[in-house]
Amino acid sequence: MSGLVEAVAPVTRRVRAYFAPVDRAANAPVLFDAAQAGSFALDAAPAPWIDLGWCSAFARTSATKVEPLRTGAPAVAQTQVRTEIEATVSLRFESWGKLQMALAAGSQQMNLLATATGATANGSGGTASVATPLLAGSTATSLNVGAATASFNVGDLVAVDVDYTGQLGFVGSGISGAYVASAAAVNGDANYVRRISLNVTRIVGIAGTALQLGAPLPAGIPSSQMQVSRLAGFVDREGGGWFQEWSALFVMDGEQGDRVIYHYPRLQSMAGAAESAETLSGPLERLRLAGAFRALPVKDANDGESVLCFRSYLPAAMRAI
Amino acid sequence: MQNAKDTFYTALRDRLATVNPARTIVVRGVTRPGVLVEENELVSGVTPADAFRLRWTGLKVDVAGPLPLATLTCEIHYATDGDAESGGMDRDRLLAAMDAELSSALTAAPQTAAKMSYSSTAAPAALATNIFWGDPTFGPTTITGERTERVATVEVFCYQEAGER
Repeated sequence: MSGLVEAVAPVTRRVRAYFAPVDRAANAPVLFDAAQAGSFALDAAPAPWIDLGWCSAFARTSATKVEPLRTGAPAVAQTQVRTEIEATVSLRFESWGKLQMALAAGSQQMNLLATATGATANGSGGTASVATPLLAGSTATSLNVGAATASFNVGDLVAVDVDYTGQLGFVGSGISGAYVASAAAVNGDANYVRRISLNVTRIVGIAGTALQLGAPLPAGIPSSQMQVSRLAGFVDREGGGWFQEWSALFVMDGEQGDRVIYHYPRLQSMAGAAESAETLSGPLERLRLAGAFRALPVKDANDGESVLCFRSYLPAAMRAI
Repeated sequence: MQNAKDTFYTALRDRLATVNPARTIVVRGVTRPGVLVEENELVSGVTPADAFRLRWTGLKVDVAGPLPLATLTCEIHYATDGDAESGGMDRDRLLAAMDAELSSALTAAPQTAAKMSYSSTAAPAALATNIFWGDPTFGPTTITGERTERVATVEVFCYQEAGER
């Protein structure tokens, strides 16, 4: 016991959320190995985890049912069995970014693409204007559009993704944003992928033929097939058949240097788009995005068990355990 | 608790000195960062302006856990008469600057510090736990003549380690 400090319950103040897209086509979540990377700096999450910032009202709920198995007369519980395994997570995001909105949307989170002249009004945006092709030399933070820079302004939001050319299944570069069952369902719209794409960013500068981006594109270096569409903002809908699915990591740093990590390899949205209002003063209310998710199982490679969540605890130095 | 109080003071002093190195105070002929602990100084009828004064008030101890958890309440008093060159007309601006400095120092991550013992004349010794503190609560501005002042309150937490007094 000499030199050890009594272990105390973790004292934490906030939860930091990180998400990574599940490869929907391959049904492959992103697995986090706390043994290898559990001590990462909160501001420098290991790839491909995307930092979604602090969140509040983080609540984990286990709906796993444990039932007794009774035999005899009178019946006596001889053992126990797990009859259902289920877990949910809910939280509120502190900011309204594209990814936070997508996670809280429940279904497709769409981009309000700039419309073509005279487009018929539509709730999720009318027919989009013609996109701008990318030229060679584009990077994750700089888009080469040649002379088309004149069509853009500093401050514009843009979606960068491929044309829809009849693809079926999961669409969206880097992060699947929707599932297309048939080309007819999306009217063969060439802009459909950019409409549901999460590969969006903001232009913060224009230099020569290049649009300088405020943050790297989530999908990384754009392919030559990608094009650029301006957008006014984002839209989600109550309804829709798509379920967002993400791998998630929630980190709570203890004040004594310890750390609690909750890793959900597969989380699907389980609620429609919702906000919670927080009264600031008088009539002023702050709207926070509320997300609720149901955990889906993965197989633990160590023993083949089907699990929904991994809770890791990294004790502080020299604490009794 | 004294180690926690001393540690919090030194942590806040260092952070405030980083935020605004120009804010200093002369105490007993020595120029220091503009923050002091009232109970560590000579009693004086003069209240210094343009500096932060720490006053320890409340104390609670939760003995339910394996280590007692102490909660200390620290009031941070600060005031300004404004700049003489401006005839004091900038006193609210200077108080706002002090608000910003204090908020920045107290809320910058991490809101923890390794607890140190300053009980001997030797170099400070690190203890085994951290102190940590919450976000400050800023009281209303009070005006006394030409002086404008405020009290911010922050709760500081520490574990009482075995053998610590």
